[in-house]
Formats: sequence, C-alpha cells, structure tokens
Amino acid sequence: MLRFIARRLLIAVPILLGVTVLTFTFANIAPGDPISALVRPGSDVKPRDIEKLKEALGLNKPLPERYVNWLGQVVQGNLGAELVGGGSIAKALAKRVPNTIKLMGTALTISVVLGVLLGILSAFRQHSKLDNAMTVVVISGISLPPYLLAILAIYFLAVVPFQLFGIKLLPAGGQVDPVSTLPPIIDELWHLILPALVLAFAGTATFLRYTRASVLEVMHRDFVTTARSKGLREQTVRLRHILRNALLPVVTVLGLSMPSLIVGAIFVETLFSWPGIGQYAIESTREHDYAAIMGVGLLTSTAIVVANLVTDVAYAFVDPRIRIR
Amino acid sequence: MTLLSVRDLVVRFQTHEATIHAVNGVSFEMAAGETLGLVCESGCGKSVTSLAITQLLPAPAGRIEGGEILLNGRSLLGLPEAEMRSIRGTEIAMVFQDPLTSLNPVMTIGNQLTEGILAHQDVTPAQARERAVELLGMVGIADGQKRLGTYPHQLSGGMRQRVMIAIALSLKPKLLIADEPTTALDVTIQAQMIDLIKELTAQAGTAALLITHDLGVVADMTQRTAVMYAGYIVETAATPELYARPRHPYTIGLLNSIARIDREPAALRPIEGSPPDGTHAPEGCPFAPRCAWRLPTCWRENPLLAADDPVAPVITTGPAASHLVACHNPATPDEVSAGRPLRQGFVAAPNPALAALNPALAVASAG
Amino acid sequence: MTAIARPDEGPIGPEVPIWQPTTDLSLRPPLSPRQLAWRRFRRNRLAMTSLVLVVALAVIAILASVIAPYSPTEVDLKAFGKPPSLSHILGSDRSGRDVLSRLMHGARVSLSVGVVAVGIYLAIGITLGSLAGYRRGWTDAIIGRVTDTVMAIPALLIILAVIPLIGRSPLNIMIVIGLLNWPAVTRLVRGEFLSLREREFTLAARGIGARDRRIILRHILPNVTGPLVVLASFGMAEAMIIEAGLSVLGLGIQPPDASWGGDLQAATDVGVLTQKPWLWMAPGAAIAIAVLSINFIGDGLRDALDPRATGVRR
Repeated sequence: MLRFIARRLLIAVPILLGVTVLTFTFANIAPGDPISALVRPGSDVKPRDIEKLKEALGLNKPLPERYVNWLGQVVQGNLGAELVGGGSIAKALAKRVPNTIKLMGTALTISVVLGVLLGILSAFRQHSKLDNAMTVVVISGISLPPYLLAILAIYFLAVVPFQLFGIKLLPAGGQVDPVSTLPPIIDELWHLILPALVLAFAGTATFLRYTRASVLEVMHRDFVTTARSKGLREQTVRLRHILRNALLPVVTVLGLSMPSLIVGAIFVETLFSWPGIGQYAIESTREHDYAAIMGVGLLTSTAIVVANLVTDVAYAFVDPRIRIR
Repeated sequence: MTLLSVRDLVVRFQTHEATIHAVNGVSFEMAAGETLGLVCESGCGKSVTSLAITQLLPAPAGRIEGGEILLNGRSLLGLPEAEMRSIRGTEIAMVFQDPLTSLNPVMTIGNQLTEGILAHQDVTPAQARERAVELLGMVGIADGQKRLGTYPHQLSGGMRQRVMIAIALSLKPKLLIADEPTTALDVTIQAQMIDLIKELTAQAGTAALLITHDLGVVADMTQRTAVMYAGYIVETAATPELYARPRHPYTIGLLNSIARIDREPAALRPIEGSPPDGTHAPEGCPFAPRCAWRLPTCWRENPLLAADDPVAPVITTGPAASHLVACHNPATPDEVSAGRPLRQGFVAAPNPALAALNPALAVASAG
Repeated sequence: MTAIARPDEGPIGPEVPIWQPTTDLSLRPPLSPRQLAWRRFRRNRLAMTSLVLVVALAVIAILASVIAPYSPTEVDLKAFGKPPSLSHILGSDRSGRDVLSRLMHGARVSLSVGVVAVGIYLAIGITLGSLAGYRRGWTDAIIGRVTDTVMAIPALLIILAVIPLIGRSPLNIMIVIGLLNWPAVTRLVRGEFLSLREREFTLAARGIGARDRRIILRHILPNVTGPLVVLASFGMAEAMIIEAGLSVLGLGIQPPDASWGGDLQAATDVGVLTQKPWLWMAPGAAIAIAVLSINFIGDGLRDALDPRATGVRR
C-alpha cells in the first residue's frame, strides 16, 4: 500500500517537472517578455536601462539557471506578471479559481451521480430499450461539443422561453444579476444551472459508459456464479458481489475525466461569461498574453496530476487487493 | 434411492454468430451418496450440464431447450426462482475450477463463508462465524478465526480451493457438483484436494458429481463414470468396469492418451483431431470423423446409448450399474489393448505422416 | 443440414487417412477475422447509416466547388441575412453569402483537419509506441514520461498559446492538433507491443532470424491495426471538434473563409442567436452530424473488431 502510493508519487513528480519545463519553454519562445510588459509602448526608455532591468530580473542568465529561478518562484506561488496590464497572474487566477471550482464541482457531481446510476441500470437491462437509448446518450455526450451544447442550451432554455412566452426561465450567462431581487446565493445558483448542466453532459456520458462496461464485465465473472450457487437473492448478488466489484475502478475515472472537464470548462465559461480560469485563458489568448495562458496551463496540469494521484490512492484504499499485500 | 435424475437434457447457446448445441439429450441418474464422474475433453458440454442442473446457465445466451431434471423426484425445471434459490446451496452446492476467480476478490473469506449460511439458516452473524471457523477446520485450515478476515488474494491456490469446498459444504448439501476442481491447481495439491472432497462427501453422505477431463482423477474418486462427447453421453459404467472393459472408441482414446506409470511412454497415443465446435446440428455419430472403428452407417445414424449386455436388466445407479455404450461398432477386448481396430477391412495403423504431427501444433497453426 | 463431409462410405482402406481435420466438418469455408468483423459491422444499422453519411460528406467536400450553388465568399447584395428561400435554400448570412455553399466548403476544412491531424498523430504515436514497446528499457522510460507529461496538459491550452504565434491557417491548426494528441496512440501501441512481443509468433520469427524492423512491420503492427482504426476514428471526431471550437472562440478559421466552426461563431452574437437562428443552426447541425457519424462508425468498428471488448481499464 505505502509502496503503491510511493510509486504513484514517483510517477507524478517527473510529470510535474515535465509540465514546468514545457510551460517555461513555451513562455520563453513566445515573443514578448516581462520587460516589454513593464515598458509601456511609446514611453522613453533607453536600451541601457532595459539591459539593467534584464540583469535585475535575471533575464541575462543562461536558460537552465533561469528555469531553476523561475521554478523557485512558481513553487512559492508566484506565476509572474501578465504581459498585458502587468498584473499578477497568480492573483488573477486566485480570484477566478473558486468560480471554476463551483462550476466544475457541480458538473462533476451531476456527472458521477447520473452517469453511475444510468450505467448500472443500462448494464442490468442490457439490450433493453433503456440500454439502447443510453448508448445514444453516450455517443452524443462524446460527440456533441460543449460549445454547441452551450449555444443550444442558451437558445432553447433561455432565449426561446422568453421570446415565445415572455418567461425568464434561466439566465443566458453571467454569474450574478446586478438588478436581481433574489438573495445572492440563490441568484448565483440560478446562473450556475445551465452552464453546469452543459458541462456535466460529456462527463455523464463518460461515467455512464465506464460504469456500464464495468458492470457488464463483472456480471460474467466466476465469483458471481459462485454467489448465485449459494442461493443468494438476486438483489444481494447484484449489490454485494457485482456492484461492489464493478464500481471500485470507477473511482479512477474521476481522475481520468479531469482533462476533458477542464477543456469543457474553457468553452462553457467563455460562452456563458462565467468568470473562471477558462474564460481567463481565452481572454489572455485574445490578448496574446502567453504568460497568462501558461499560468493557466501550469495550474490545470498540476490539478490533473494531483487529481490522478488522489484517485489512484483512493482506489488503493478501497481495493483490498492493493491495500493488503 | 434416486437423488438426481437428468433425462434427455438439451442445452443450446444462442450467440450472434450461431447456435451452439452444447448438450444434446443427456440422461443419467445418481443415487444418494453416490459419486459419479462426468468425463470428456474441454468443450464437450460437461460444465454446461452442471450449470443446467442448478439453472445458472449464463442468461440470456444459454437455454435449456428440453428434457427434465428431477431432484428427489421433484422437477427443477420451471420451478419459481425463489424455490430454485432455496435449493441452491442447501441441496445442491458447487465447486468451480479456478478458486481465484470463483471467490469475490473484495470480500473477506469470512463474509463469503457466512453469507450463504445467513441467507438460508436462522442464525445470528456470530453463530455463522462460529460455523465458518468450524468449516475451515474441517477443510484443513487450522487458524480459522484469524483467516476469516483475510481476502482471497492473501491465500495460496490450494487454500482458496479449500475455502471454496468449505463454502460448498457449509449447508450440508445432498449433492456436490465439482467442476474441474483440481485443474487450476498445482499437481502436488491436486491429490490432496481429491482426497479432501472424497473424505468429506463420504463422511456426510453427500453425493458428488465430479466433472473433469482427467480420467486419473475419476479413477481415484468415483464409483461410476459417464464419458461425454459433443454433448452426448457415449459410455457409462461402474468406474472399475469402464477402466477394465471400455467399449467406445472415444473412451479407449481417452484411456490411451493418459500417461500411466505402468505403461511404456511410447504407448501414449493422443486422439487425433478435436471435438466438433457444436455450431451444427449433430447428424450421424459425432465421433465418426475421428474414429478408426467407424462404419458407413456412422455417418448417418447417431447410435443410442444401449446396454452392452442386452439381456440383463438395466441398472442406472450404484456400483452394479449396467455398462451402457452408444456405438455402432464397439471395440473388442483385444482391440482395447491395441488401441486400434484389428479386424479385416480397417486400416492397420493411423497414417504415419499424420501421427507424427503434434495435434496441439496443428490446432495452433490453424487458428 | 448436410454439414458433415463424407470422404468415404465404406470401411476405410489402407490408403485413406483416418484423421479428417475438423475444419472439413463444415462445407462453408471458415471466415477470416476481418470478414467476420465486416459481417458484424454490416449488421450494425447505426454504424452503416453513419458510414453512408460520412461517405456522402466526403463526396460533398471533394466536389464542393462543383456542386455548391454559389461561391462561399460570393456576396448577394439582395440578401443580407435572409432566412431560407428558393434562391438561398439555407438562407444567407449577414454579408449576403449563401449558407449552404459555405457549409459544403466548410466540410472540406473539417474533414481535412480530421484526416491530416489523425494522420500526423498516428505517425508520431506509432513510431514512439513501437520504439518504447519494442526496445523497452531507457527508451521506454523516457518516452513514457514524455507521454505522461503531454497527457497531463490539456492540449487545448497549448493550442491556444501556439495558434497566435504561428497563425490561424487551416494547415497550421491541423498540424498543432496532430502534434498534441499522439499520447493515446503511443500508449495503445506500446501496450500491445509489450503483450505481443512475448507471444509465440514473435518468438518464432526471431527464432528464424528475422530482423527487428521486419518483426515490427510484418508481425506486430498488423495485430494492432484493429484498435488503432477505432482510436483513429474517435481521434478524427475529436480533431474536428477542437478545430471548430477554436473558430467558435474566434481563435481559428474566420469568415469570410468557410468553416463550420467559423459560421457557428455567429451564434455568439446575441442578434444572430435570437433573430437569425438559421445562421448558426445549419453549421451546428453539420458539426453534430459529422462528429456523431464518425463516432458511431468508431463504436461499430470496436464492437465488430472485438466483440468482447468492454473498454475497462484494470
């Protein structure tokens, strides 16, 4: 168990280092550097001052040394300055991360609950109408891109009800309504529903597909026949033997689904004007702010690596084959 | 007294590609406390027969298409699921081939032992655990109390199979079905396991249906043997009788293909070819393509299982059971020891070129 | 059923071999795995319909300049943002361009992005995966770590950072998508290699002195084709989604150049979203249909190539 966790950690560390190297490289091959960010266009700065500034910032040192210095800053939570505007990237991210967590957390919860439940139902009724319908749901979830779903959701659940019936069913975007009479928490939840549902769709499909496959696989294992040969109730066989085995590996999907969740959030936040880090990444891209994009990249990659680490360790805890050697 | 009676059992599997004729009209009976061996190569329908008896065929592909299964005179087919459930475990229990895959990997063996007891008997969990420790002791696992909390992967293969046997015998069933109980185990443990099953079933008066491809195991353990081929029983007799006087060419082939200390290794003679895959409805004798004794009629008529001695009354169970064989041209005693037909008109020896081929290799390259 | 061959009717003479191979029991020649797979695929109605749709899309894309009623950039001064009519079957956009013609030309962009991106990452993935799986040792360790790293960064973020640097031409977008999505292929190929390289036929090939390159090309890669084809079809759908997504965010191919994502971007304008739904519904439907069809084909292929596959990692 401890060895298992240690091995996972040993895998995670080089990945994180690799991510920082990639990020650092990208940020440095991109045109524009912290100096040009500090120096306003049109201002009267002499080349000699720029050289001095470079020296002060350590930019004239060889790349590997700069990488180590940069890494030291990153570890302390300093992600550098935005190329546009010059604000602290870490601060900008810190302001937006809670919003992204609210959105992704809600979406993930919906995906897990809905996906696992439907996956179990679908597997136990294999080849039924429900199962066939679920197959279509799964393929749609993988196929329909989040931006298309977002546009459809805004149009059919926000625009059309208002156009046809004059009802403000759900807000089309934003996080809060400044003129709302509702309590702020309710208002924010109100704004959260649509983007969270759109973001949850693909995840639901992933969990559904995985759960269904896992249950179907476990259903035909020998120990299930053993359980039945003991004369146990079908319900007991399913809960105690099939589901307990089938749902264990689903834990790891939590980690595996992180990258697509983040990519989905980038689109959903942008299209719903939800002020999270995804929207920040797109805004930075439009302003050609490579430093800021790389900050988002570093943050999300770390989140992905950590999420995988956590789910692997969680899996080790729940599976006795790993917990007890 | 007849405990189990299987009559004309037909089982088919419906896959996307084809219908598999797994069992094609199998009949046999078992008396209370009797041990019967059901023997053939893999893919001959013996495991399917055992799953059919407990009605645990993989749904919806596997279906019993005909025949009757009676336990103590009561028909099991068509019983409501709840009643069938009350029979499983308490009257018929099963031990499977691979104890690693047959035990739930994420449940302690204590819970796997007690869940059957708790489902069928009115006992407290504490009592069930007590009984579990007792059962573990019975199958030769000494520190039972400590073992209850362990998981299958922490035990050795032999230990796991002991646990399986303990689970199967936990409710004192009338019939134990053991499906290749030793195949997945080390050779050194196989004999121990056979002895254990033999001893425990004899003690409790439990009838045992032993399903195996290994005639050696059958000889050690059973009173009576039935040989199956392609979903049919082709020969059955009391075990000593069957070994002494086999009549069916397939039985002879099986006996000749096992290594025995009392024979020259050169006498080891594998049966050439492999059993049909069951995708076609049987026509004629299913063994005809591999048979050296075949007659023209073998291609057309599937021989019925009939008494070797047409005059004597047919006895279906017990040590005095009749010798039955399904063959148009059974082997004579001197042909048995020769392992090939000696009469006029039959080929003298298998084609030497073909005999040189290792059948295992032939199959591997074809697949 | 006359399934059993009857090579002889009388008692066997000395010249007739006793053993008949069991394959002779069937008059039907045994089907090869590929034939069996095709048979299973053909029975999958959803996959077959999708295949027809994708082929039709490909034909439209190839013949776009011939069959499209207008040029995709041609401006009809009498039709600024007009709903579907006889002269413009799917309507016209706010600059007076024909929506249908733009869709037909947009199919070119989407499909070629899919094909080229998948081609690039298959090439990278197969090469790295083969190397890692066949050489093992240090090669494998390094490739493994690089793969894990690239997999850990959401590819979209790197694309976002790179696109402004290298420009938004369709070719650049294809290349970037292709350069970033190879890890899944690498992992698959490597995994298959590790399990296949120890199997009998590889050992047999090495036993008779076959060279590494030959073993990889002739003995191992053909065995990976099935799962690769499945992965490639899903990958193609994903590449098309990313490409269109970039355009929707205003970071990819932009009007007047025709592309589905670029036209879908119109929906981000409140006026178009609420008042001129034909402008975004048509490209939206095109993206959905194309991606759905390709994924249904991939799903059908997976079922057909390995009926027992469940997609569960253990």
